[in-house]
Amino acid sequence: KISLDKEYSCSLNNSRSKTKLQMSAPTLTFVIVGQEDHPIYEVDLTGPKEQQTQYLHQFVLHSSLDAVDEQMWLSKEPHLKVVDRFNGLNVTAFVTAGNTRFLLLHDGRSDDSIRSFFTEVYELYLRVLLNPFHTPTTRITSREFDRKVKLLAKRLLG
Amino acid sequence: MSGLQPLPSPAAVVKKPARRCAEVCLEFLCAESVRLFHEKQSGPAAAAALEAVGFRVGQQLAERYTRDKSRLGDTLEIIKFVCKEFWQALFKKQVDNLKTNHRGVYVLQDNGFRWLQRLSVPAAGSDPAREEAARQVALSYLHLPCGVVRGALCHLGVSCTVEADPKHLPSCTFTVRILA
Repeated sequence: KISLDKEYSCSLNNSRSKTKLQMSAPTLTFVIVGQEDHPIYEVDLTGPKEQQTQYLHQFVLHSSLDAVDEQMWLSKEPHLKVVDRFNGLNVTAFVTAGNTRFLLLHDGRSDDSIRSFFTEVYELYLRVLLNPFHTPTTRITSREFDRKVKLLAKRLLG
Repeated sequence: MSGLQPLPSPAAVVKKPARRCAEVCLEFLCAESVRLFHEKQSGPAAAAALEAVGFRVGQQLAERYTRDKSRLGDTLEIIKFVCKEFWQALFKKQVDNLKTNHRGVYVLQDNGFRWLQRLSVPAAGSDPAREEAARQVALSYLHLPCGVVRGALCHLGVSCTVEADPKHLPSCTFTVRILA
């Protein structure tokens, strides 16, 4: 009985995103991927979601890493525009010189606001990195960082 | 390093002048850290410890100094970045000479390495034993900058080893060997 419910909610999600009903919750997930292709920070910027959507978002973001690599070979700019699309969701990326990738899963926000969001998060990320107690390959667990990223998202991404 | 300046805060309304720190503090810190690690009885060997410290610092500085730049392409560009902008920010001058054998070995020569300026040099043409002793002392002070350079290169994607050779103090050469 439980598995039937899960299938029902999953198909409902898919049909929702296919028809792009405005009633569906806005999507905005942000992930920082380190040099060794593991996530060091993830946050869902529109509040906690149910498990199915979370898994879907994670999957889309991680599979878009290949697309980010392709775009990296084409351009030297740190800001890459939309690199991958899935079912109405877009993935925009920002790549730093040290090969850290910032990925944002969204449903069609303006490119300029995403750019300014990435630039500001880059500053915050640099400060975390300059902390001698933080190892570059571990997860970012600072609550201050989390709080500031959420504030920035609210301010710049609406 | 060009003083210990904090990154400007994006929300600052009034621009405060960047805080600066006397360079002699950095020199004292380097000298003291060399002495500390050499006198430690337990823990890893001094050379390894200093190199590891330099490695972390190098990674962080590389991330910070490539802030507004577009990404660097191949190994040569990364080495050139280290020779120019990174060296300028760290040692207030650029590397004087860069040689390569195009097979993965780069030699960076700095005539007048800033972190060795305070080391007293035996007069040229004096007793070779004294010169050798001075070279050994200089080597122990070079583990830290070697680590910094290696950390910066590795963070930017060039996996390598860095060795320093203080031939004629205060000029110094750094040999970067790219690991295949």
